[in-house]
Amino acid sequence: MSASGWEQLGFIAVVTAIAAPLLGRYLAAVFNPDRKAPGDRIFLPAERLVYRSLGVDPSQSWSWRAYALAVLAFGAISTLLLYGILRLQGVLPLNPEHAPGMPPLLSFNTAVSFITGTNWQAYEGETQASYLTDMAGLVVAQFVAAGVGLAVALAVVRGLSGGARTIGNFWWDFTRALTRVFIPLSFLGALAMVWQGAVQNFSAFRDAATLAGGTQQIPGGPVASMEVIKLLGTNGGSMYGVGGAHPFENPTGFTNMLDLLLVIVLPFAIVLMFGRMIGRPRQGVAIALVMAALFLAHTMVSMQAEVHGNGALPASVSQAVTPYSPGGNMEGKDTRFGPEGSALMTVGTMGTTAGATDSALDSYTPVGGAGAFAGILLGEVSPGGEGGGLYGILMLALLSVFIAGLMVGRTPEFLGKKIRATQMKLILAYVLTIPVTVLILGSISLVIGPGTSSILNPGMHGLSEVTYAFASAANNNGSAFAGLAADTTWYNSMLGLAMLIGRFLPIVLSLAIAGSLAGARVHARTRATLDTSGPTFMAFLLGVIVIVGGLIYFPMLILGPIGERFVS
Amino acid sequence: MKRHLRASLVMLIGATLVLGLLYPLTVTGLSQLFFRKQANGSLVYHDGKLAGSALLGQSFTDAKGNPLPQFFQPRPSAVGYNGAGSGASNLGPSNPLLIGFVTGVNIKGKNAFGTPLDPACVPVDPQGSPVTSPSPGIRYQKSHGQYVCDPSTIPERAIAYRQLNGMAPGAVVPVDAVTASGSGLDPDISYQNATDQAPRVARVRHLPVATVLALLHRYEHGREWGFLGEPTVNVLELNIALEALR
Repeated sequence: MSASGWEQLGFIAVVTAIAAPLLGRYLAAVFNPDRKAPGDRIFLPAERLVYRSLGVDPSQSWSWRAYALAVLAFGAISTLLLYGILRLQGVLPLNPEHAPGMPPLLSFNTAVSFITGTNWQAYEGETQASYLTDMAGLVVAQFVAAGVGLAVALAVVRGLSGGARTIGNFWWDFTRALTRVFIPLSFLGALAMVWQGAVQNFSAFRDAATLAGGTQQIPGGPVASMEVIKLLGTNGGSMYGVGGAHPFENPTGFTNMLDLLLVIVLPFAIVLMFGRMIGRPRQGVAIALVMAALFLAHTMVSMQAEVHGNGALPASVSQAVTPYSPGGNMEGKDTRFGPEGSALMTVGTMGTTAGATDSALDSYTPVGGAGAFAGILLGEVSPGGEGGGLYGILMLALLSVFIAGLMVGRTPEFLGKKIRATQMKLILAYVLTIPVTVLILGSISLVIGPGTSSILNPGMHGLSEVTYAFASAANNNGSAFAGLAADTTWYNSMLGLAMLIGRFLPIVLSLAIAGSLAGARVHARTRATLDTSGPTFMAFLLGVIVIVGGLIYFPMLILGPIGERFVS
Repeated sequence: MKRHLRASLVMLIGATLVLGLLYPLTVTGLSQLFFRKQANGSLVYHDGKLAGSALLGQSFTDAKGNPLPQFFQPRPSAVGYNGAGSGASNLGPSNPLLIGFVTGVNIKGKNAFGTPLDPACVPVDPQGSPVTSPSPGIRYQKSHGQYVCDPSTIPERAIAYRQLNGMAPGAVVPVDAVTASGSGLDPDISYQNATDQAPRVARVRHLPVATVLALLHRYEHGREWGFLGEPTVNVLELNIALEALR
């Protein structure tokens, strides 16, 4: 890595290390129902109004079944509503570019994609979505996905640690997640984006007379307000086709780093909040450090590969870093970000469910692209999505204590609660859900015509395109090796299916695990208890994450990026 | 289940009103009040007419698509600087359409293709006889592999860049000059790319090279805060300033 890369990575590390603990402390105060929280005077009246119109009693705590049912009902209703908007956008207002209603399968894919927080975009942002769709449809879905993720994480924490048999009230969690976290932060973030140059208007495309005597269309739209929640909610879906590479969304080297911070600070803060909520801040720090180690590993590998450049170019094309040239593999990257700024932002968001990109992943070097793959395939826990990162890594932590327990021959326990066969069955189902979905649907796509005809790049790179699509969809990431032509019957329906499975099955399973542990006896710590916040356990957890992710996907990685690296 | 569905519906209607309408409208209002120029796309005017956006790159080519030598040239774009679209090439790092070679051929080391006449790229028609005007996509069998004769491959772009700027055969060209950007609308080029183009721009405009270089230095934009992003030169702003010199 060059000095430029180190400086930007250092900036991200320092800001995260300062901001995440502060935000974590704030979150712990906000999501404690028994204490006063900062901002009560402003937000409480509005929240009471919400509970009254919903007809729910916010102080009532639910069983895991009721909680999961509420999440599923909310998911179903919001998908239907978004589907309706997408189909009807042609006749709805705020459509200056006259985007027609989306066809049924594309609408299904898009609705599922945004409600699950995946933000896989099979449609072309500039031409196929109206401003109303972006604002009232997609942005609302982005807030909803973020709020649901955080709510589920809160419920899981209560189940794992609390003494009660119930795990909280979905509407209380969801409402507060929006009013106290996502809405205020989005508001401030959007204004910062506009200040830097992001667009925020309702104009139709304007015609400019270029210097060379041609014309160019200048797009518009409420971009900044969507840009922020896309990142903050680890969603990833943009108004424009190329997402964060578009200068109207990501105008400067500063916004590029702000984008990444908006994605990763909150998931780290949520983990630290967890530590505070269970009264063991060290546990939160230990998990956050494991996440940070994974984040640094896969991001730095990509940064190094990208700044090193593409070995297949002629020697007379200079890829060296100098004060006058960013150097590196610049295909698919914008000048203002350079190879390392691009890799840091793009691959940095791959350990979350955001999958926000500022450069073309398909044109990354094999090793650079493998860094992005790694972030997704290790289960997106570095640092993971809003809430999803926390419950994801907690499941892996449970798996780790189980394996550790087998090694020493003791009944495993986590946070003082015994992990038994009931929990282990659910945890294994959780761990296997996504790999099974990815590998089965991906393999089918590689042997049938509708699957292979969409591939752009030949050979091993084509395999990466297809498997990446399913890994991205099932993990609710949404980024793409964009050469794949995804707006087809096969990919719209199968990727939609993968997104649904990858979102709701893990949610239900983790709520079930939390529910099965809720009210279980909390055993006192003895000298023989495995310390789950010490360095030994951290290293062990890291190993389990890498082995679980690695073993499942290794054959595919050999045939894809690793093979490409050594053949070309 | 029914009470969940009802609550969900009410929540969504409320969320659509507050998050889908009130939130973007308020942000738009405040942006238009405080950051009017940015919120409307950092528009740039030339001779009183809308000439583009400082944030969006544009083509400086004639009607046939040939680069106009009196202007600094932007990076290649996969979408031809179409503002209503955006996009990258998405070509993989080993794709022959990008690197100019069929994969599996080791081309590390000596580059045999850096001459202005490009003898390696003699396109042949399907019968094998040479054709005089190169047309894209025709492959030329060479003893050590296949060379893809397409003007948008990186070796071909490098040759065109050298020819445009009067550089020696095999001269080193900056990577950003021969690769397509991620957005397809990259407004910037690197210092090196701009400096390499300056002598040619000066010659065509009958200006001293020093004058063009001085102007170029005025438009060099350093890294944000000194350490974020990369240094850039905004092509549209530089070209407008060049026009104003007359």
